[in-house]
Amino acid sequence: MRPRTLSGRYARTAYLFLLPAILFFAAFFYLPIGNVVATSFRTGPMADQWTGLGNYAQAVADPAVRHSFLVTAGFSVMVVAGSIVLGLALALAIDQPLRGRVVFRVVLLVPYLTSVAIVGLLWRNILDPELGVLNRVLMAAGLPTQQWLNTAPLLTIAAVTLWQSVGYTMVLFLAGLQGIPETYHEAAKIDGADAWRRFWRITLPLLAPTTLFVSVMAVISGLQAFGQAYIITGGGPGDATDLSVFHIFNVAFRTRDFGYSSAQSVLLLIVIVAFTVIQLRAGRRGEVTY
Amino acid sequence: MLRKPLLYTLLGVASLITVVPLLYMLSLSLQTEAETLSAEAVLVPESPQWGNYAELFVRAPFGDFIVNSLVVAGAITLAHLVFDPLVGYVFAKFRFPLRNTLFVALLATLMVPFFVRMIPLYVLMANLGWLNTYQGLITPFLMDAFGIFLMRQFIQPIPDDLISAARIDGASELRVYWSVILPQTRPALAVLGLFTFVFQWNEFLWPLVATSTPEMRTIPVGLTLFNQEYFTLWHLTAAGSVILFVPTAVLFVLTQRYFVRGIALTGLK
Repeated sequence: MRPRTLSGRYARTAYLFLLPAILFFAAFFYLPIGNVVATSFRTGPMADQWTGLGNYAQAVADPAVRHSFLVTAGFSVMVVAGSIVLGLALALAIDQPLRGRVVFRVVLLVPYLTSVAIVGLLWRNILDPELGVLNRVLMAAGLPTQQWLNTAPLLTIAAVTLWQSVGYTMVLFLAGLQGIPETYHEAAKIDGADAWRRFWRITLPLLAPTTLFVSVMAVISGLQAFGQAYIITGGGPGDATDLSVFHIFNVAFRTRDFGYSSAQSVLLLIVIVAFTVIQLRAGRRGEVTY
Repeated sequence: MLRKPLLYTLLGVASLITVVPLLYMLSLSLQTEAETLSAEAVLVPESPQWGNYAELFVRAPFGDFIVNSLVVAGAITLAHLVFDPLVGYVFAKFRFPLRNTLFVALLATLMVPFFVRMIPLYVLMANLGWLNTYQGLITPFLMDAFGIFLMRQFIQPIPDDLISAARIDGASELRVYWSVILPQTRPALAVLGLFTFVFQWNEFLWPLVATSTPEMRTIPVGLTLFNQEYFTLWHLTAAGSVILFVPTAVLFVLTQRYFVRGIALTGLK
């Protein structure tokens, strides 16, 4: 049948072009999301018995689940704080007219392009108490050796995560800095504001949207970190680095309890979405227009 | 704001902390097993053991890992380049019922981290018999909202008159897309292709979950399993890491302007 109007014809074209995308997102996003929620209400080895909120009640009462959420929260806080402080410091430095800025930028971004598999294995080797090159170098230098992965495991894997991601944060801050009109600084300079004052009164407030974006991204990626625990620490020592996604992975694929692991996935998703919404709300209120 | 020597020191120290571990990975990949185990730190191998790289292929199906990584990352990148601009074009230039609803539904998928899809996708693939197959590794990543959004932003400023003119000249809708829109999106396609390839090349969680035999593993997963299944030999693990790392590093150094622009674009707009 031939559509009567021109816009009708284009609407049909639009849907035709969209068809693969609609099918894809339905099958690989919306169906799985529906399934994970449906499975979270079920129990048993085949996840075929209805249990209502049973898995959720169990998860909330389970010390191991609570612990994994706390570990994940601690890890995320460290990653967010580090991303903002180090990312901003590096961006401010590299924003100056320096020789070789491009080289610095390229070098600092390189770890962002490496797989978590490489980062994990490399740092597991470097930090190993006996065979690790770091301790062997310290020993050769006559300095005391450290067992980073035993004494401060969470901080250590957060530092490794920052090692990989700080270049990305730096580039985001750099883009934000370059969006601040030069005239603001010049006007403040004429008014006699020193560099420190200009940073706190102009740069930082005008950078608020970028800082917000960086912190949202860092929270989201921090809350779903996996490889760090899987590769570097195996969740240990004990359960000190039992990050949530690693915990969910183990419940799902080691104990095969899909109902229980699905409920934990949904809980973690709720936390992530809630955090994102709160951050964006807070950001809208404090947004600076210029 | 700060004195220049201080800035150079800050950036220099940060760069050293970045580069030294990667150089150590290279050094480790060329050491003998004895050197990796010696009590004294070996920073530069006595004589570089290039044979370590060959040994990878003897001690594990490393050739399969490479082929799998290339097939999976390549196919996903190709799919993104085919679908993302097409969908982006529709949302940029067409008016149709449910347009805004569909667009919001699309952007909402950005809020869904992969781990949420992991378990149901595993069950779905198991039911389809697609676990441990290429289609199982590839299909969950054929498109993504980020790529579509990036392309929409890029296509929106293209004048509507160009499209109308082509239509009046009798071009079919597919022809309009192919000959008028697509050629203009080359820089965005380059960014999209680079990002997609690098991220899929490095992807870890899904290939870990979805594969079960050594022959189907991608390099990142194969590497971590080196440490458990095959052997715990650091010089070989490092050699495998170098093989995984070098293609993306070379790609990046050649195209870093696009990358930086891409981060700024996808990150802030």
